[in-house]
Formats: sequence, C-alpha cells, structure tokens
Amino acid sequence: MAYEPPVTDYDEIVENCTCAFCGCNCDDLDFLVKDGHVVGVRHACRLGASKVMEDMDQRLLVPMIRDENGDLQEVDWETALDKAAELIAGAVRPIFYGWSETSIETMKHGIRLGELVGAVLDNQATICHGPSLQAVQNAGYPVATLGEVKNRADMIVYSGSNPMNSHPRHMARYSTFPRGWFRQRGRFDRTVITMDPKYSDTAKMSDIWVGFEQNGDYGFYNAIRAALKGKEIDQDFVSGIPKEDIMELAESMKNVQFGALYFGLGLTHTLSKQRNIDMAIEMLVDLNEYTKWVLTPMRGHFNVNGFNIFMAYEMGFPYGVDFCRGYQRYMNGETNTIDLLTREECDVFMVIAADPGAHYPGGAVKRLAEIPVIQVDIHWGPSTEIADVVLPGSFIGVECAGTSYRMDGVPIYMKKAIDKPETCRDDEWIIRELHERVQKIKAEEAATASK
Amino acid sequence: MEYILKNGIVYDPANNIAGEKKDVMFKDGKIVENVSSDAKVLDVADKIVMPAGIDPHAHVAGPKLVVGRLYRPEDSRKGVTSKTDVCRSESGFSIPSCPATGYRYSRMGYGTVTEAAMPPLEAKHTHEEIMAIPNLDITPLPLFGNNWFVLQWAKEGKIDEIAAFISSWLKITKGYGIKIVNPCGTEAWGWGGNVHGIDDPVPYFDVTGREVLRALAQANEILGLPHSIHVHPNDLGHPGNFPTTVNTLDCIKDIEKKSSVRDQTIHLTHAQFHSYAGTSWRDVESGAGEVADYINKNKHVTCDIGQVTLDETTTMTADGPMEFDLHQLNGLKWANKDIELETGSGIVPFIYSGKAPVSSFQWAVGLELFLKINDPWQVCLTTDHPNAGPFIRYPRIISWLMSAERRQEMMDNNEVRVWSYKRTSLGTLDREYDFNEIATITRAAPARIYGYQDRGELTPGFNADIAVYDLNPDTIDPSKEPAAIEKAFGNAMYTIKDGQILVKDGEIVKIVPSRTLWTNVQGFEEQEKAVMEEVMPTFTRYYTVKFENYKVHDHFAPNPLVTTVQAGK
Amino acid sequence: MKTIILTLKKKSQIALEFDELIPDKVFNWDKAVFENYQVPVGNRRFPLTDYFDIEVEGSAEGPEEVKMILDGDFGRVKYIGCKMSAGEIIVNGDADLHCGAEMEGGKITVNGNAESYAGREMRGGELEIKGNTREFCGCSYIGDWRGMSGGKIILHGNAGKQLGECLSGGEIYVKGDCDILAGIHMNKGFIQIDGDVTRWPGGQMKNGNILINGKLGMLLEGLVFDEIVINPEIDGKSFSGKYIKYTGDIAVNGKGGLYLNAEKNREYL
Repeated sequence: MAYEPPVTDYDEIVENCTCAFCGCNCDDLDFLVKDGHVVGVRHACRLGASKVMEDMDQRLLVPMIRDENGDLQEVDWETALDKAAELIAGAVRPIFYGWSETSIETMKHGIRLGELVGAVLDNQATICHGPSLQAVQNAGYPVATLGEVKNRADMIVYSGSNPMNSHPRHMARYSTFPRGWFRQRGRFDRTVITMDPKYSDTAKMSDIWVGFEQNGDYGFYNAIRAALKGKEIDQDFVSGIPKEDIMELAESMKNVQFGALYFGLGLTHTLSKQRNIDMAIEMLVDLNEYTKWVLTPMRGHFNVNGFNIFMAYEMGFPYGVDFCRGYQRYMNGETNTIDLLTREECDVFMVIAADPGAHYPGGAVKRLAEIPVIQVDIHWGPSTEIADVVLPGSFIGVECAGTSYRMDGVPIYMKKAIDKPETCRDDEWIIRELHERVQKIKAEEAATASK
Repeated sequence: MEYILKNGIVYDPANNIAGEKKDVMFKDGKIVENVSSDAKVLDVADKIVMPAGIDPHAHVAGPKLVVGRLYRPEDSRKGVTSKTDVCRSESGFSIPSCPATGYRYSRMGYGTVTEAAMPPLEAKHTHEEIMAIPNLDITPLPLFGNNWFVLQWAKEGKIDEIAAFISSWLKITKGYGIKIVNPCGTEAWGWGGNVHGIDDPVPYFDVTGREVLRALAQANEILGLPHSIHVHPNDLGHPGNFPTTVNTLDCIKDIEKKSSVRDQTIHLTHAQFHSYAGTSWRDVESGAGEVADYINKNKHVTCDIGQVTLDETTTMTADGPMEFDLHQLNGLKWANKDIELETGSGIVPFIYSGKAPVSSFQWAVGLELFLKINDPWQVCLTTDHPNAGPFIRYPRIISWLMSAERRQEMMDNNEVRVWSYKRTSLGTLDREYDFNEIATITRAAPARIYGYQDRGELTPGFNADIAVYDLNPDTIDPSKEPAAIEKAFGNAMYTIKDGQILVKDGEIVKIVPSRTLWTNVQGFEEQEKAVMEEVMPTFTRYYTVKFENYKVHDHFAPNPLVTTVQAGK
Repeated sequence: MKTIILTLKKKSQIALEFDELIPDKVFNWDKAVFENYQVPVGNRRFPLTDYFDIEVEGSAEGPEEVKMILDGDFGRVKYIGCKMSAGEIIVNGDADLHCGAEMEGGKITVNGNAESYAGREMRGGELEIKGNTREFCGCSYIGDWRGMSGGKIILHGNAGKQLGECLSGGEIYVKGDCDILAGIHMNKGFIQIDGDVTRWPGGQMKNGNILINGKLGMLLEGLVFDEIVINPEIDGKSFSGKYIKYTGDIAVNGKGGLYLNAEKNREYL
C-alpha cells in the first residue's frame, strides 16, 4: 500500500456525517469539501471512504431509455418518468426492489406507490439476512445496541461473518477494540472467537478460531446446546470439531460476564439457512439462563434494517410484502423477489438503490433481462446493463439528507454535505413523481372504464 | 367551520355535567359557547356525548413495536384488512401496524394516546412511527429510571443536575415527561440480573429504586412538569409484590407538588400487575385490597389499571428481566433490546385464557382494583396495550365495569376459572360504574393527570375533541346489556378531533396527520448548559453515536404541540 | 352430487389464485357463475374462462357434495383447496404453492407434483400427492409455533426440506425420500418416512414421533439413544421390525421420539 499524504487543500469540513456503506452507519465521519466535492474523508474505513470519494465514478447523470436497438439513449426527465410510470401502471406483477441504500423518506413514497398498483415491495434482506429475520420469527430476537457490547462485553463471537473485510470498523469502533465503561483495557479485556469454516482475516486476529465443516453449522450449534444441557457428546467429531473442544467452548461461553454473537451470511446462506440462525438464537437463549448474552445480525447496507423497520411499522411485515390483492401478505417463497423472478412471474421490475445485476443468482438476472427494468441509482453497474429506464438519483448521506437505521436499530439522520449534480434528482422526488404520475394514469383509466 | 351537536346527553366530568341534555358547539377546531345560524347541525338526540377518549398508557410507537411486529408475522396476519377509499390496509391484532393503530383508536372515539416508553437513543424511531399513525395526538414519555447519568447523580444526591438533565433531554428527545420502569432493575439486567423491592442496590452504580424514585420525583417538581413521574414499579408480575408497590407510592409521599395543573406526584401504571399477595404462583392471592386502600387514603397517587382481556397478546415492556422470566414460564419466543447507557426492553407473546387459573386470577385483580378504588379521578382505564390485551378491548372492559351481572355470569359459566373468585374478592363486589364514571376514567382523569390544558373537557376554548356514542343513557340498562355497551363504545357514532369529523357510524371518513405533544422547560438554560458540560465527556466516550446526531431533529415532529413550563413555577 | 371440471386451455405465467374456488364457496354455483368469475392474477382479475373450459354437472346442498376435477398442468395455480372444509378436489397434473393449506376437511388428490407449502396449517381432511413436493410440506405459518394440527398427508414421492415444521398434530406419510430437518420444532403428531433421509430429522423437536424406514445420513447430538425396540406401537399404530429409538431434542428439553430402522442403519448401532 503506497503512502498517501494527508489532504490539506479543502474549503470546509462537514463534521459528523454518516457513512453510506455497511450496517455500522458510522456517524463520526468528517468530509473535507472543496469546490462542491468531497476530497477527503476522516474516520471512515476504506469501504466507506471509497464510496464517498468515488461519488462521481461512473456516475449516472442523465435519464436514459433503452431504444429498439438495445442502446441507452439520453432523454429528459419528463419523458423518462412518463415511460417508467406507464410501465408500472400497466404491470400485473410488479416488484419494487432495493431501498437499502436510500432514505426512509424515499421509502415513504415507494410504499404508497406499491399500495396503489398492488406491487411486491422487497429489499436486499431477501438475498441477505432474510433467513435471519425468518429465524427471529421462530426463535426470538435477544439483541442489544452496539454500545452495550462496547461497554460490557468480555466475549465476542463472530459466526459466519468476517467483519475485517465486510464491516471494517465493527471491531474498531464498536465491539472489540474500544475502551468500554466496564472494559477499560479494550481488546485485552475481551476474548474474540471466530466460528467459520474459513480461516478468514477475522479468524486470524481472533483468540480462538473454530473452523467447523462447511454446512455443518446446524449440527455444530445443536451439539453446543446438548453440551450446555450436560450431555456427554457421543460422536468424536461434530461438524469436524472434536467433542472435547465443543464441551470446552460451551463451558467458556457459560462463564463469561457478557457475551455477544454477531453473525452473517455464513449462517444465512449455507445448507440449513434460517435454521442455522434459529439454532444459534436458541443457543443464546439457553446461555441467558447462566449469564448475559446478546446477538445482532451483521446487516450489510446502511438502510437494509431501515427498510425492514419501516415496512414493519407501516405494514406489519419486514420484507417480501405483496400488495397484489389489496392488502399485505408475507410468504417466503411466494412473495419474495428471487422466487417471483425465477418463476418468471414478475413482469415489471423497479430497482432503487441496489444492484441486482451484480448480486442476483443467474436465473433471476436472466428474467430481468427479459422484462422492463426501471433503475433508480447513482452509479452505472451491471443493473444498468439490463435497465430499460434509468433515473439518476442522489447520494444519501452526502448529497441529500435522510433517515437510516443502523444494524442494531438505532436511527441516524444522515446529513447533506454537498450539492448533487444538477442533472440528478433526489430519490424522494423521483419516487414521488412516479407515484403522482401513476395516480394520474389510474384515474384516467377509471374514468375511461366507467364510460 | 361551525357545528352544533344537538340534543345529546352530555357527560363532561370536569365541568360536573353528568348526563345532561345539552348542545355542544364548536367552531374552527375549538369548543365555543355560541355559534351562528350558519352552523351545521349534527343531530345526536339522546345519544351520549363525551370528550374524545384519552389513553394515558399504551405502547403504540417505537422500537419495541417494530421488534414485535417483525418477529410476530403470525400476529400481523391476524388483523389484515383490505384497503378502502379512505383507509390503507391494516395488519396486526395485538400489535397493530401504525395506520391500523390510528384507525382503531379513532373508531372507538379516542383522540389522544400516550406512548408510554421512549428510549432516548432511539427517540427518532418513536417519532417516525407517530408520523405514520393517523388521527391521534400522541404523547411520548422518555425513559429515565435506568439511565446511567440519572443513576450516578441519584447516588450522589445531585437532584439539581438531574433536573437540568431532564429539562435538556425532554427537548432533545421531544418528550413530555418522566417515565420510570423497574428502576435499577433494567440496568441490573444489563448483566442478566434484576432487583427486588425498592431497597435493592443495582450492581456497580450501587443505588436503589427508592433513591432513583425520590430523585426523579424531586426533579419533576423542580421543573414543574405538567405530568408527575409515571412509574412501573419493581417486581412486576411476581406473587407477593404489593408491598413493593405500596412502598414505591409511599417513598415519595413527602415530596411537595409544584404544579397546579394536576393533583398527583406519582402515577402508578398497570397497577393490576403490581397487586399480588402470597409467595408463589401456588398460593398467590389478590393484593388489590391493600393497593386500593393505599390509593384511597392518598391523594398524591393516581393509577391506570392494565386490565387483562383474556386474549392471545404480546407483552412488551422496558422491564427486560421480567420479560425473560415470562419466557421461562411460558416457553414462547423471547425478544430483548438493551440500549446503551439508558434502558432495555423485552417482548414475549402471552396467552391469557379464561381456562387458565392464573389468567383468571389476573383478570379478577384488575376488576377488583377498578371497583375498590373509590374516586374515579384517581383511576384510568388501560390494558397497558398490548401487555394485558389489545386496546380494541377497552369497550369490553367498560361493559364489565358497568355490569356486575356480566362479571358474575363469567365466573358462573366457567368463562373464567375459580381462582377469579377464590383468590380475590371479586365475587363480593357488585359496584357498577355509571356513564359519568366511565367518562372520568377514560377522559377527564387522564387529562388532569397529564396536566392537559386543552382537552379532556367540553369547556369553551378547549380542543373540539368529541366522541358521540349510539347509546341512550335514559333507556339502556348497562348492567343488562353488556354486548350493546361494548358495540357502541367500539364504533363511535362520531369521532371529532379539532373540530373535524374523522369517524361516522364506526367508519373512518377522514384521515388527518397526528401531532406530537412534548414539554419545553424554560428558565433552566444556565443549569442545562452546565449539566451538558458534565455529560459530554462521558457521552463522547461511551455512546456509539455522536451527540450532534443523537437529538430528534424538528422535522421528526412536523406537527408539535408544545407545552411550555417555567421551571420552578 | 355436483361435479365441476376445469380443463386447462391456457397456462398463465403469473400464477392464478384459487382461494375463492373451494367447495365451501362454489357448491351452489352453476356454470354461468363460473363463467362470470374473475380469478385473481397478480394485481388484476381476469375471466376464469381465459384459462379453463368449464363443465358443471349436478347439484349440491353443501360443500361435502362437491367434486372438483382440475385437468391439466396446474403448476401455476396457487391455493387449490385452501381452507376447504369438505368435498373433494382432484388435480390431474401438478399443483402450485399452498395446495391444501389450512384445510379443515375433505380430500385433495394431486396426480402430479405439488409445490412448497402443501398442507400448510392443515387442521383436518386428507391430502394425497402422487408425485413429489418441495419445502415446508405440512408446516406452520412463519412465526407461529402451532402448525399443522390435524388431518393426513400422504406423499408418494419425495419431500423437500423442513417437512412438518412445527407439527402440532395429524399425520404425514412419505413413501419416497426426505431432505433435511424433517419435523423441525414439532411438538405433536406423527411423521413416517419410508425412503432415505439426508440429515437432522427432529431438530428442536419438543414432542411427537418420527419413524424412518430408510437410511439416515446424519443424526443430531440433541437426539439421545433410548433403546432398541421390536415391533413398536406408536400413537396406536403398529410397526413391524427392529428400530433404534432416540428421544430428544434435549437442546429444547424435548421428549419426542425418533425411530430408525435398525437394518438400514446398522452404523448407528
């Protein structure tokens, strides 16, 4: 890594900005601004800093519509919005997906549009921590804010999660390194355990690495629970871990003062999916009979939790909410985006603040390529390659203020530090415009029908 | 716009009107004495007219609600309705969605609801939900009873610092008053423990519930807040807890009230859960007699009951350890949320069944309290929604209070088990509430308890918040027609809020945005500045957000109703 | 007796929802009513006749006198028989999601495969699937700890993951193989699997019984060896053969029973 000298040429510092990358929502960022651009970022990790600093990299600046030859042509806002509204109003099984990198204020308009046309509203949880939410729905949700862990925890367990790569400041600002009220020696007052088939970067700096077998999560946690209940483990190895290690682990987890479990896609996406987390949650509840344990899923986007919270308070369900029958329904496997795409039911797809082109399984992307796709985003990406209408939005937390919810549910209002490019619009404005235009189309249809 | 409600039978306890045939007039959102001949006439001849309902304690907006909804899709599914031309689709039975919450209260003729527990760090979330609830004015109470700053100052006896802190924090969080839940217990839960009784010191901070209660009560009076401290005592739900309750009420008795807009210095919430005698669930008996007796003899106390409705519901409180105990009792899925430096919470589904002895007992204890507390101005009707049952059951509870026959029938028919009368004195109580008393415990008393100066009465100048019910008090005998009472109170003939007709014949006809009630203390600026200097170093080191991002920005409460008080007056 | 025959003439890519076309709701419909009916498809409704030819014969006083024959590939028709309390439905083809969900009585026969959620939250009646089914057969609604509580599911083919999740009563018979986590969270009822099971049956089970006649790939530590039984009797049913009996899942203080055919699973002896 080459040495880069500190940035000294800036006009002003906007303090206490919030990072728009992962679910840590670090709100202590200082943006160094010059000529209306952020030229330096203090306190962010490389992921957050790069997102802010590279805000103009492959930036979408002008609305576009794909023509008959398959090329994206620049158009004005009126044309693009009208085209998008027309597509949405005419759809029989529309999906509005994404939302995790835009603001709650934008979602408020999105849900109204979804209710109006009878769409499915879904977010990245459907490909990410959806299984965690499903597990929570069966097994419970014993969580705590990040500060509780910072101040009290003497054992941190990362399972199926590699924060050194995915949430770089998680250990630095929140869980492990900071000096907490009751843990004044920071790292030295805590034991860090990584449970992960991979010897990840996080495992490398943990005190203990438990490398159980791939797909062995459910069996492994079940064995720990059996050990907690006092059973002598029968098999010599469970999921590749020697039985003595399992019993020792169970014992040490019982004997801490305050333990915290953070988990990620290693649990949500291997064989037993939501049952891995189900089992882990129940294990944690067992542990609470002896001592204090909490957990939190490592949410990957700064507002993925925000969408789930927003949908829950508006409509009672966290994601995959289907309005097609005039009321909300939530049924995993039926009202989720991937299933609707692989079953080729979705006929119009709007993606906002997400990149399905990059993140979806191949079968789903294939369907996206076949149907009209409306993209509201700030950067060109694989989704732009399959989009038919492109609406350039603004960067929440940098160019536009907005409310977000951290991985532990703490709400943070993200500041605006610079102006957005003139040709772009706020996400909130875009969705509100679409809503109004679709309302107009529907009203016209109703008037025609009643004649 | 002018209106006249003609020929209704009016119950307005604050103005000593108890079933008088008279007209009620309102103009431009306020009650007035006269209107012109242009006024629109609403014929409510021989129908009951009361101020709109005021709920002094419910959990309707905030992080706990979302955790509940998120982890109970099976509850959300239960209350789903289709969207209409006026209303969005609803969801939820014990934990309604925000739109559903607004619609359902509105249909019952309610206009004001307290959100009883707002954690300061997540106050913005509470305010977001308030924005999503239509048709109500909502009063959030921030939690202070386990706050690290408060615990430390209480230990050191630094009451003035606490007062300045509260004054600042009410502005920062846009909160109305001081809420205390299991003082010291929820902090002990940060380590998996609890406290018992008000003299059990919490680990590390080494301060007791008594000290915290006294400190906060004094701070409340120094600031002259419109509401008193609002207390969920230690030992909730444990057999033998009534002495803790009485001690809680008694330990602040000597503290002088410094507000003229209310009568009490302590409000005891969901008293039913805190009125048990005995030593275990085997020998548990009602302690309602002792608690009611204390309340009858002590005017510095008011309460709301937390009546069990015999439904499958969801418990959710800031009493984290109690919720874990409940989970161990019934084995149902448990959720928990501890909040750094401030508080905690827990959630567990619960089935109160008339077939279960304990539920039957709890049902009876609540009714006993209603019937044994003599002065309706000291009692409010609540279910601690959703803890003892969903708020849509308030009309049912009214029907029970007005009919001794119905209560007896439930005990005779095995709708409730024998513990309802064997372990309590409910079987001996035949008092029946009349409409005036109902109006008191659901409107006038909550308004006075909160120090509201603009609602709860049909006084000229007050908000035109009015409910009309399709009941003729001269011809109906509530003791014989509980079903009709329940139906009428559940489907208001008119719900009027700020002079706008929101409900007609039980159907929502208009949606208006909600408003947020909070208290702005003036005259304490120097002290607030000094206390912030003391707070900041700790805040910066031990919270995980920056102070600048901590506050509730003005746009989170776009329709505020601010009560300004002069500290010390 | 009323017989209603729907013959598929056009398969919709967007699934149709048949929750309003159950014996309880249509027993007094004549052909004209069916031909006027608009079936929910996505956020619209379209004429039923766009997709099916309809024949109606006879009459019925109630749902128990109704027989519905669904001819063709119903792989894009969801909610067949959902919440029905009586009557008979025969699907001569595949069925889509939620076939027989929340059934209270009557009988459904699927002469093809069924999608996920077949028999979800069933309370009574009989659901017979000649082909395979996918995940969550006979399960609960997510979040509810009370699942299928009565009735009988007979699966001739293979079952997918999480068969009988949260089972609270009733019986499930699988003649083919079964994937992971059969009977997870179950607290009552009976599951019999004649084929092979991949992993971890009875995870987090509190009570109820699972009987496996085929080979089991992986067993959970939470299921503790109890005894060897010969010709066991379970829930009033007799089985012949030698079985290894486990109880558990002790992780949840469970007292359920898991019976493994000893012949096929010698390595567990």
